[in-house]
Amino acid sequence: MALLLLFLLPLLAGVLIPLLPERPGLARGAALVAPVLQLITAAWLWRHPPGELVVDWLPRLGLVLDLGLDGLSLPLVLLTALLTALAVLASPEQQSRPRLFFSLMLATNLGLVGSFLARNALLFVLAYELTLIPTTLLVAIWGGNRRAGAAIRFLTYGAVSGFALLAAVLAFGLLQPGGLDFSYSALAHHQLTEPQQRWLLALVLLAFGLKLPIVPLHGWQPYTYSQAPTPVAMLLSGAVSKLGAYGLLRFGVEFLPDAWTAWSPWIAAAGAISAIYGALNAIAQLDMRRLVAYSSLGHMGMLLLALAAATPLSLQGVIAQMLAHGLIIALLFCLVGMIEAKTGTTAIPELSGLLNAQRGLPFTLGLMLVALMAAAGVPGLAGFVAELLVFEGSWLAFPWPTLVCLMASGLTAVYSVRLFNRVGFGRLDNSKANWASTTWAERAPALVLTALVIGAGLWPGALTGWSETSTAAIALRYTDAPPLLAKASGSVGPLFSAVVLPSPLLPS
Amino acid sequence: MTATVAPERTQAPLIPPSTHRFAEVIHRLEAGGSMLPDTPENLQQIIGIYKAYAVPMDFYWRDLLYIAERVFLNPLPAFKYFISKQYLDLPNSYAGDQASLRIWRGGEKAHPELLAFMERGETRRMPKLLHHLWHDRVNMEFAEACMQAMLWHQGMGGRFNDYLESEAYRANADRAIKAYFKGNPVMLGLYRLFPEMFLEQVRQLSYTANLGLFWEVMAPVFFEMSDIYDEGGFKGVPDAMDFLVNGIFAVAGRPIYHHVFIGDECFEIIPKSEGFTWLYEAALPYVEAVFYRTSPFRGTKSYNAQAHQVPADQADFHYGILYADVFPVGSAGIPPTLLMQDMLHFLPPYLQDLYKEHRRGEEDQLIQLGITFQRSMYNVTSAVIQALRCALLYPLDDTDPEHLMANRRFFEAQMDRFLRPEARLADIQTQDYR
Repeated sequence: MALLLLFLLPLLAGVLIPLLPERPGLARGAALVAPVLQLITAAWLWRHPPGELVVDWLPRLGLVLDLGLDGLSLPLVLLTALLTALAVLASPEQQSRPRLFFSLMLATNLGLVGSFLARNALLFVLAYELTLIPTTLLVAIWGGNRRAGAAIRFLTYGAVSGFALLAAVLAFGLLQPGGLDFSYSALAHHQLTEPQQRWLLALVLLAFGLKLPIVPLHGWQPYTYSQAPTPVAMLLSGAVSKLGAYGLLRFGVEFLPDAWTAWSPWIAAAGAISAIYGALNAIAQLDMRRLVAYSSLGHMGMLLLALAAATPLSLQGVIAQMLAHGLIIALLFCLVGMIEAKTGTTAIPELSGLLNAQRGLPFTLGLMLVALMAAAGVPGLAGFVAELLVFEGSWLAFPWPTLVCLMASGLTAVYSVRLFNRVGFGRLDNSKANWASTTWAERAPALVLTALVIGAGLWPGALTGWSETSTAAIALRYTDAPPLLAKASGSVGPLFSAVVLPSPLLPS
Repeated sequence: MTATVAPERTQAPLIPPSTHRFAEVIHRLEAGGSMLPDTPENLQQIIGIYKAYAVPMDFYWRDLLYIAERVFLNPLPAFKYFISKQYLDLPNSYAGDQASLRIWRGGEKAHPELLAFMERGETRRMPKLLHHLWHDRVNMEFAEACMQAMLWHQGMGGRFNDYLESEAYRANADRAIKAYFKGNPVMLGLYRLFPEMFLEQVRQLSYTANLGLFWEVMAPVFFEMSDIYDEGGFKGVPDAMDFLVNGIFAVAGRPIYHHVFIGDECFEIIPKSEGFTWLYEAALPYVEAVFYRTSPFRGTKSYNAQAHQVPADQADFHYGILYADVFPVGSAGIPPTLLMQDMLHFLPPYLQDLYKEHRRGEEDQLIQLGITFQRSMYNVTSAVIQALRCALLYPLDDTDPEHLMANRRFFEAQMDRFLRPEARLADIQTQDYR
């Protein structure tokens, strides 16, 4: 029942909000209730693990309402609920067309939570597609000046991703020896031939590579993130993009282990290229939103590297990076949104002196410093824990791509310092600095995120404790292998000399 | 019933309008006005800030004289800001019953608000040293920065600076130095080795005395202006400026001197008999050095002289309050920040209320009062410009077009100094600049 509640809360709120009378703050308040209750429910489920909920929906099509939580999905459900609540809080008090806006936000939440809870691939596809429509509408209606182009681009890339995923899932189901079956347990245990795995992996990589995104499938991302309204950018970058990483983990690493292992050097290379490409582009940006967008692209590259390595440690790093990046990127977009709301711009050359104690935005810039430090992987903050796990877990499997990602991580500090120096220091122009200070209500979402970023840095178990068992179960490489297997690993080649490949028969 | 109105006879102007970028300001000056527009809010702002300025200034002048006359060449002047009771009670020459020219109706000793602040500060009653270390005090660093600006720019007219190089001055200083270090062979030995270093320190102290004597006049002037305003006496900004012009002329001949008290003996390093006067040797150099020039503030902003970010000619320096960015980050010139902190303690209630109504209210009143101070100093500079015009050129109601053109050229030359982009003259023309 509690599982169903996670699903029903945003659904009911999303349906009821348009029926509410048009009163200021009412829709916002109602929209806040659903994700907060969802968060409480998910936290309760963490302590009281539920069983699987299976309800036949369209049995002839193999569609079953099969919901469940494991170490991979629970942290992401929590993250989604938290970011939805904070995104609602970060929306302006006088949000235009609030009932439609918040309904669409909750529909996005529904799609995300549905995707993470799904234990049936077809149900996953339905929920996955559900996220596309509301987010496109949110960008198209409430976005920046070039919102139409951004929305069309987001829709186009999203549609291609959806079609690729649908094709892959249908193929998964149709290839089942016992007839049409989309359940995860069937998908995990069925032995596909090598060519079948490769074709499916190509589709899976296309689908989730577009969502994550990775270079060269990232065309929509900087454009959309820079045009999306702040709450939507928080949700898109913090939670929706994690759908791509989660999909790769489930459908790639877990369901297609042989093909994943075979292609992993290329996947790791793509991750390294994404990381360095994202970091270099972030350095060159003149707009804060685009800088944060490219920063996100770089961090997604590191995530892909850890996925490619698929060692127990690197997969823990994947979960930790998803959570840490979700918090950090949402915090950065939240702060950029606050700066934009006050100054009217996110153009770096137009901003300076915001650290000015009297007329600047010192509190916002102070939080931004923490967020940038976390993004740069400074110890004591969430980003450090996640990146350490990613690099340590991937190093033995892919030393060169890891080294490139380390360099990209170093470049994060370059654009962070550059951004902070340009925007925070220097002269504040009195003729422009005619804005009010931020209120505690405006600061609240950023404060919560900052507290979590610091908390996760001081208590790394918050990032890694969820998933040890689940990630160990689907890991494809082990660094602490028994001597016999270690000897056998010599045939794999120098790139894998220090790790071993286990039997393809994986625990589910 | 019909009424016939006689056509108004307007007198054609004797000279054509100015085509200067600040023509409006020049025409206002020609009409006897100030660079600051005449609005009730401007009047309220400048008088309020004169009051807030005058209280710390009452400390500045007393401590400057204390340093110049008593601390003198103390090699470790750690307690030079711990002014003695004698100097707190030193009668102001222009206030109190004993004053031959009484500018302010109040008492001659240190202002009661100043004494109350020195007692409790912003925090609470505690030993003087703790107040000092906590920075809960009047910031003499600002006053010393003003003095150093006057010393550094030097040669801005007058004879004072030339006298500091004269043999008479050297002989007077030599006597005072030897008397001060009598019985101290180490310092006397150093003096013998590096006489110019000691002389340079004495010159600095002479400028310290000069500035102290200048502000001794200005403090009662500002107190009196505040009292007149409270009584409803000023009708507009030009009234306030005229009061300043009259004050300048009233005390123009006040002697500027430097006396040092060592033991029971008084050493006249610059005797009153040299004839240095307040207007030419203190007021004008002060306005030039402090309001206009000063020097790049060694604060949070770096200036690259090799990249010509600092003018090669000292006369082109433009880091004074008339140009300053009053924001604490990246401010230039004499740090108004410290003075702004000092004035904040003594703001009259009506200014506090005004600041609460604008921008961020109480949160950024430090910036708002800094800009008010900038407005008020444009008014003081206007008074100095009018006083100079009065002394050197022609009356404003002169009917000779040539005389009026001479006045025009003078005003335009003064306004040329505000053509550079850093100048705040254009900003203070509207009330939006806060």
